[in-house]
Amino acid sequence: MKHWYTAFMVLTVLLLAVTTVAAQEQGTLTGTVTEAGSSQGLPGVNVVIPALNRGAATTIDGVYTLADLPAGTYEVSARFVGFRPSTQEVTIVAGAEATLNFELQEDFMQMDQTVVTGTGLSTERRRLSADVSVISTRDIEESPVASVDQLLQGRVSGSSVRMQSAQPGQGALINFRGITSAFADQTPVIYVDGVRVDNNTGTSFSFGGESTSALSELLTNDIERIEITKGGAASTLYGSDAANGVIQIFTRRGQEGQPVITLRTEQGIDLPNTQFLLDTGFSFASNVEDPDDPDFGRANFIRDEILRTAHTQNYYTGVSGGTSDVTYNVSGRVQQSGGVQPNNASTLYALRGNVETKLANTLNVSFSGAYTRSNFSRINNGTAIADPLTAFEVGDAKFFSGASTLDEALDLFLLPTIKEGVDRFTLSTTASYTPSELFSSRLTGGIDSRSNEQRRRNPAAADALTGNDGGLLTRFDRNFNAVTLEYQGTISYPREGRLTSDFTFGAQGFREETSTIFGEGETFALPGTEDFGEAGSIIADETRSQIFNGGFFFREQLGIDDRLFLNAGIRFDGNSAFGDDVGLQAYPSVGAAYNISDENFWRGRVQSIFSELKLRAAYGATGKFPTPFARDVTFQANAFRGEAAPRFDNPGNADLRPERTATLEAGFETSLLRDVFGLNITGYRSITSDAIFSVPEQPVTGRGAQLRNVGEIRNRGIELDADLRIFNRRNVRWSLGAAYGYVENAITDMGGAADFNVSTTVSAQQRVSEGRPVGAWRATTPFDSNGDGLLDASEFRFTDTTPFPDHTGSISTRLTLYNRLNLFALADWATGAEVFDWGSHWAQFNGLERAPRPTRFDTEGNEVGKFSTAAAGTALLQSGDYLKLREIAISYRLPERLIEQANLRSAQLSLTGRNLLTFARQDFVDPELAGLTSGGGLQLGGAQSITLSPPRQLRLSLEVTL
Amino acid sequence: MTIPPYRPHRLLAALLALALAGGFATGCDFLDPTEVENPRTTDDDLASANQPVRSLLPGLRAQFSRAIGSTVVATAVATDDYSINGTGLGGNDMDFPELVTPNTAVINSTGATLGIYWNLQELRALSDFVLNDIAPNDEEASNALLAEAHYYRGMAFLLQAENFTAVPAEANEAPASAATLFARAQDDLQTVLSLDEGGPFALPAEAALARLARGTGDTGTAATLASAVLTSAPSFLFQQAFDEQNLVNAPHLYIVTRALKELQPLPRLDFLDPKYTARDAGIAVAKAEEMHLILAEVALDAGQPEAARGHLRDALALVAERSTTAFADDDPRFDNDLNPRPRTSDIAIAFEPGGDFVEGLVLDRPCAEGVACIETPTVSGTSVTEAQLTAADAAELTRLLYLMRQEILLLEGRRLHDLGLRFPMMLREIEQNPTIAEGDPGTEMVIPAYIPPGNELDLYTPVEIYDEDGNTIEPEITLLHDMNRVLATERGLLITNPQVP
Repeated sequence: MKHWYTAFMVLTVLLLAVTTVAAQEQGTLTGTVTEAGSSQGLPGVNVVIPALNRGAATTIDGVYTLADLPAGTYEVSARFVGFRPSTQEVTIVAGAEATLNFELQEDFMQMDQTVVTGTGLSTERRRLSADVSVISTRDIEESPVASVDQLLQGRVSGSSVRMQSAQPGQGALINFRGITSAFADQTPVIYVDGVRVDNNTGTSFSFGGESTSALSELLTNDIERIEITKGGAASTLYGSDAANGVIQIFTRRGQEGQPVITLRTEQGIDLPNTQFLLDTGFSFASNVEDPDDPDFGRANFIRDEILRTAHTQNYYTGVSGGTSDVTYNVSGRVQQSGGVQPNNASTLYALRGNVETKLANTLNVSFSGAYTRSNFSRINNGTAIADPLTAFEVGDAKFFSGASTLDEALDLFLLPTIKEGVDRFTLSTTASYTPSELFSSRLTGGIDSRSNEQRRRNPAAADALTGNDGGLLTRFDRNFNAVTLEYQGTISYPREGRLTSDFTFGAQGFREETSTIFGEGETFALPGTEDFGEAGSIIADETRSQIFNGGFFFREQLGIDDRLFLNAGIRFDGNSAFGDDVGLQAYPSVGAAYNISDENFWRGRVQSIFSELKLRAAYGATGKFPTPFARDVTFQANAFRGEAAPRFDNPGNADLRPERTATLEAGFETSLLRDVFGLNITGYRSITSDAIFSVPEQPVTGRGAQLRNVGEIRNRGIELDADLRIFNRRNVRWSLGAAYGYVENAITDMGGAADFNVSTTVSAQQRVSEGRPVGAWRATTPFDSNGDGLLDASEFRFTDTTPFPDHTGSISTRLTLYNRLNLFALADWATGAEVFDWGSHWAQFNGLERAPRPTRFDTEGNEVGKFSTAAAGTALLQSGDYLKLREIAISYRLPERLIEQANLRSAQLSLTGRNLLTFARQDFVDPELAGLTSGGGLQLGGAQSITLSPPRQLRLSLEVTL
Repeated sequence: MTIPPYRPHRLLAALLALALAGGFATGCDFLDPTEVENPRTTDDDLASANQPVRSLLPGLRAQFSRAIGSTVVATAVATDDYSINGTGLGGNDMDFPELVTPNTAVINSTGATLGIYWNLQELRALSDFVLNDIAPNDEEASNALLAEAHYYRGMAFLLQAENFTAVPAEANEAPASAATLFARAQDDLQTVLSLDEGGPFALPAEAALARLARGTGDTGTAATLASAVLTSAPSFLFQQAFDEQNLVNAPHLYIVTRALKELQPLPRLDFLDPKYTARDAGIAVAKAEEMHLILAEVALDAGQPEAARGHLRDALALVAERSTTAFADDDPRFDNDLNPRPRTSDIAIAFEPGGDFVEGLVLDRPCAEGVACIETPTVSGTSVTEAQLTAADAAELTRLLYLMRQEILLLEGRRLHDLGLRFPMMLREIEQNPTIAEGDPGTEMVIPAYIPPGNELDLYTPVEIYDEDGNTIEPEITLLHDMNRVLATERGLLITNPQVP
């Protein structure tokens, strides 16, 4: 591996040495890009002259300028996500300014949009044999979300994206195309400007079941577009890391021209969503009958006293501009929120800079970097006794705190604090070398470095609740560093004629190092200190993990008559987590795309109905590498009375290899009735072989469980995206969109391993069992044992439900009036999941029946009370079906008259709302929420204690450009 | 060739290029190819250890603590000693002997404080590893070190033999019966004596052999060894230590630390609880009292009630010498329905329906905050009096023997064996070992016919003892069964009827 790395270095230096450009006679090209049917300029459109390797993005007014162009005749293309590209010819005359305007047509099919993910080179969608989803600048700008994971909700067909709670610092559980593993996290890998970044969803210590996530700092500002492959053939070039899919984030580059300054201020409120808190009449307060008791009549204590409306503010400043040779885009952002729960405030500071320079006509170097600092406080949540919401909802609060009134109890519950700070740097550098139209190459290197420090403090005064009579300080630090390096070259020959060919080759490697340090100090003499050194006793622990993955790949794409495209590729991977007896792994892919509507026989009546039709089919394999060091035989010592006491740790497996997911998919994209209706359908079937299970050793060996490649998991499903343009008049445009996904998941082979649980609650298990979905619920089920028709016994039975949905979808609509007023609404839904309701279990402990339980009889037919929650797990599995009105966004572009008076380029006022309405089939748990997740390993969600839903967000923002 | 004019952005470009090259150069070290280093000790690392037996012994010591701790907790909740409050032990199935299966949370656990089966197997396997794989190649493994390792393996076998019908001792092999396990324990414990006769593990091994002989019904050996231990050390006490921070006394966790106090004692044992008031409190593995009790049992078996009475008096005298501790107990003694269990000294208890009501067995709690209002024994305690011993006939002496064993050896892991109950092996073993099928010996809970149904071992009436203000409304409560009388009449002496499968 060292050799190819050295080769990169040499190549880099060589590339950088080519900096001489011959001086020529020069001219300027300028123009405006507008949306067809509108005089409104389109900002952010890329206008490029491929032959010169020159390009600029349009300003907020839709104006572009390309200066210092050598005289000659060129093809100029304008491209923008969501619109059909347009290419025109222009002649540049030395010393003169040429004008070339573009009108771009909105494109439902987006066949000519280019993507790079999974193809190795910039490729038009018409050539793709496997689907790649794209989230455009417009989607990003109109959404009120702060992080990328939230943005995905409802915007990617066939995905399940579930948030955890209302707490800051959290990240979503994301899943594309079903669960492909019974051991590994399902979060897709994420690249930002070509650099692999931290996607861990459990980056902190869990106090009660919820931990923080590295997804929470992947911010949506300054993103140009996001490309998503959901595993399968489109992800094959990412090798042993791509079975979960790949999310590629491309940040916004600067645009040639005068500096454009963007200022945005956003003020908002977060309203707590109490829909799934019974509160009223439920906690002990409702049982207080004495009017003189301080708790009398305070049955809505959680809503009235604990939760609150929070103010949020968000400020953004960006400067963008550049010359023909250097462009830049620099921005800063500050955000603050008070939190709808106590001890939930957060602040965020973010800086981002992109610089791109043209070192020669053949060589571009770009640099992008971001720094994010995030500080937030959290409260215990979930299964922790000190969790205030659960304690107050199910009536434990006074009991656990020993307080005599609810107010006193609340004061005590809010004494423990959990604070976390995150620092994150992400840097990426890319050198693109294009010596001719026949050969292009790109070298990308970068780093993602993230460190977080979490401090939990239980002051001595909270002793009654925490049991730490001398106080307790817990600190958890996690440091993550990843380096990515990638080279790829493409030979495009022949480029013209009936047969075209693009051959891509390259190598990519990344290395990740993660370390955690946990420290706990107990018993402090005096209040106030947060210094470990002052603790009466201290314990500490650490973990470290390193992994290297390196591979090389080849891909050939043939074009026949510019309508039939065939591709084949392969990636070979080596990985430091593979067992000693496992060599390079090969991941092949083949595919075909046929734009049948380009055929001559398609013209005429057929085309008047099916304006465009592309058929496609692909097969591809991807992998998921095992946990670092899981292959080794290890021993681990723990401290014991001043000695290090070793015991067996990992049993070891020299044959440990990646899980392989091979996907066969086929589908079509069509546009009907001249772009009135667009439809994109994909069906797929994927088999994960060598699925890794944590197989227990025989206890007689004294050794625990070992990761072994023994299983097989199947996913099959369908994905659908549809767009309908209802009106498309000059002043009124209205469209509808819908997405739908269905996935059927099953373990087809356990490889002889015994059934096991992914996660266990008191009376329901997420079970891995042959013939059933991964994590199928198996719960204690009351039944009639003697045929008298009465429930008298209970046993564990499968419920035929899962903790994750199998049907998901969204609907959206967009209305534009007079090119000035925009209205967007998005709702998403899911069905098929069940969620375990821990809160009702805790309630039983206090003699309260939160979720109804069946009546139990003895075998003689006598009623003997209700089934306990331990014996009636089925009563605690609540429907996970939901429909959420996720977003409404209204934006209004201020009239030019006002703008000119204020000396501005543009100004826009937006009012947005998020998480506005939820429809569910039950009142006990928010069905969307992933709930308890501990981080690391497979997380299916689907179990919640009393957990607050993400708040209803209302935002008012004003954005001006100078 | 024309030289292009100087332009500022060229400088910027050059700087960027430099930064790019620099980034890659530093990246080179950082990325430094495929080398990764496992931060844990691998088998290769272990092979290079200087004195591997000495290095691994602390692991055996810690594992012995886990084994003892989890044995104590599991046997306490499965017997009449303690019942379960709350869900911290995976529900209260362990209170119902008929509900205990290989999949019951406590049985199928690998946790340090609950997993009796797991921790005994790990102790045996780790001892096997040290003695069979490591020691032969470790020239510096002294007899004293090897004796200690044999002691732990012998104790693993002994505790398995007492509490299980059959468990495998080798991977992929059929389970060894309790009789075989006793024999293996005997081999190891005798090896301790032969390797290091005067060493620190000699007396504990001798005491364990006496206990083993009782378990197999070998009265002669039991009496000889018990006497030998008492001769060597009349107040003999061997405790397994715990670590305040890293490996706490397992029962302490459930009787003191945790808010719910999952382990709630049988009301007539209230005065003995909590026995372990410190997180690192040692648990007695062997003590002189047990030797006296064994001698008493041998005497009763031999039809010598007077001799037995004398040994029981010796035990009482020794108990009186043992220390007690004052403790600020905050346990409100709740049951699963939040009814306070007996928690005031005005409560009198009948050991079974129709029995006399005995006072002084229940202490007043919870204590006011910070006030050490109760005093409990840390090694041994008993409610049995000299007068009771004096007045007892042979049958009553047998009952009192069982009662004294229950009280004196409380939370020391003996009661399950005395009751004749046997746990099943954990589900994981049945599932993973190809030679074991469900229904095989050792895969089911063994419940003698004299054990009452349901959770009656733990029950008493009435359950509502106090009014809403905490005033006692039912000062007399009655236990459903006096299991010591049941044992005396139904089983007889264990040494006479060892029920070894």
